Amino acid sequence: MKGADAALGAAGLAAFLVLCEAVPRLGLVDDDYFPPAGRVADALGRELADPAFWSALGDTLTGWALGLAIAVGAGVVLGVVISVVPYLRQVTASTIEFLRPIPSVALIPLAVLLYGTELRSVLLLVVYAAFWQVLVQVLYGVRDVDPVAEETARSYGLGPWARVRHVLWPTALPYVMTGVRLAAAVALILAVTAELVIGAPGLGARIAVAQTSQAVPEMYALIVVTGVLGLLINVGARSVERRALAWHQSVRGEVAV
Amino acid sequence: MLDVHGLRKVYEGSGRRTEAVRDLTFTVEAGELVCLVGPSGCGKTTLLKCVGGLLSPTSGEVRLAGRRVDGPPPGTAFVFQEYGRSLFPWMRVGQNVELPLKQKKLSRERRRALVADALESVGLADAAGAYPWQLSGGMQQRVAIARALAYEPEVLLMDEPFAAVDAQTRADLEDLVRRLWRERGITILFVTHDIDEAVYLGERVIVLSASPTVVREQLKVDLPDGRDQVHTRVSPRFAELRTRVYEQIQAAKRGR
Repeated sequence: MKGADAALGAAGLAAFLVLCEAVPRLGLVDDDYFPPAGRVADALGRELADPAFWSALGDTLTGWALGLAIAVGAGVVLGVVISVVPYLRQVTASTIEFLRPIPSVALIPLAVLLYGTELRSVLLLVVYAAFWQVLVQVLYGVRDVDPVAEETARSYGLGPWARVRHVLWPTALPYVMTGVRLAAAVALILAVTAELVIGAPGLGARIAVAQTSQAVPEMYALIVVTGVLGLLINVGARSVERRALAWHQSVRGEVAV
Repeated sequence: MLDVHGLRKVYEGSGRRTEAVRDLTFTVEAGELVCLVGPSGCGKTTLLKCVGGLLSPTSGEVRLAGRRVDGPPPGTAFVFQEYGRSLFPWMRVGQNVELPLKQKKLSRERRRALVADALESVGLADAAGAYPWQLSGGMQQRVAIARALAYEPEVLLMDEPFAAVDAQTRADLEDLVRRLWRERGITILFVTHDIDEAVYLGERVIVLSASPTVVREQLKVDLPDGRDQVHTRVSPRFAELRTRVYEQIQAAKRGR
């Protein structure tokens, strides 16, 4: 079953590549702007051989990872604090609902004013976008604490810190994992966007350079790389999630009793 | 050992005032096994939570070994009805049993010994590495009981612990509680809505009225110490006692 699914998926991808090769060659679209898949593959090969590509990839991943780490750390800590301290949730709820929908890209002018084309510009945008994903999930997760579990912990003399650690945190963890997965995807989008628009070094900036220098196959090759990056990030996040939540009903599957 | 005096609990919220418990006074001697039974919705759980320090009474007080209870006291362990929610699914059975001990600042060896001994007592010596959700309901409640035993409580509070397991498992668990009580000399306060269970288990049965709750009657259970499911339950004295409790509960429901 799983093998058959994989085979069908591979066949679909192959068909898509054949289409991308055939359509420009048949003259259905202008191959100046839509080069055949083969030419994009050649360009990708050249990119992979170019040290400058790898340093751009490194820059993008640095911005992504650093931004994501800051966002997750801040989101988790603030989420727990907001939930645990009485009244803080009510006080902050409307502000969070106001700040959260602001698109991170709307902050590009601010980022440029503050930090120019430095890494910090990228970080500002990545952190702003990813932070809310994590924070909101933590707030939901903490609300999910089972009153019986909480009373059990209290009756056995677990103090506030021990209850956060042994009850609240494991309860919130599935939500946190979802938040991190969403944040990881958003962080990549914002990292590339920031590089593309602001010109901070990275894959986005390289795409912009390829575009302005009419290196169309290279541009497509770089776009493919960002796509593969997104895919890998999602697969990685899911496997971390499965490991961390082996006990959770969404992962553990059917149980023989 | 345990003194409940003039206990009253009123819930207030969203414009409604509910007097769950009106005036409860009773004592439990050290080493006694007392069953609290009453009509459903009579505030049994509220009472037990006040005794366990999980709720603070509106007035009156609970004293444990002479000390006023104003939070979960260190010498009490709680077994809840909802074993599936009371055990932590993210911890293995052994870790679940061990967690409360970590708050007691015991050495690692001592903790290990207590966990092994408690699991052994409830017949789950080889389940330490399993997750609670891999076990049946009855086994999960055994784990919850083991967790309470390992805590080495003076007083064990049990809130309808067997209401959610099947009849056969229930009989086994009742015998388990009797055996542990006799072996370990723990003071047990056992809340149930099941009259047969109350008479079978208890040395004394306290019958509660309908809400707002007061003590309706206290009944000494003069059945022999060694009880078993087959003979005790068909003995004439058992029938008399259960009839007596049954009548009290029925009268309580009618509000007389």
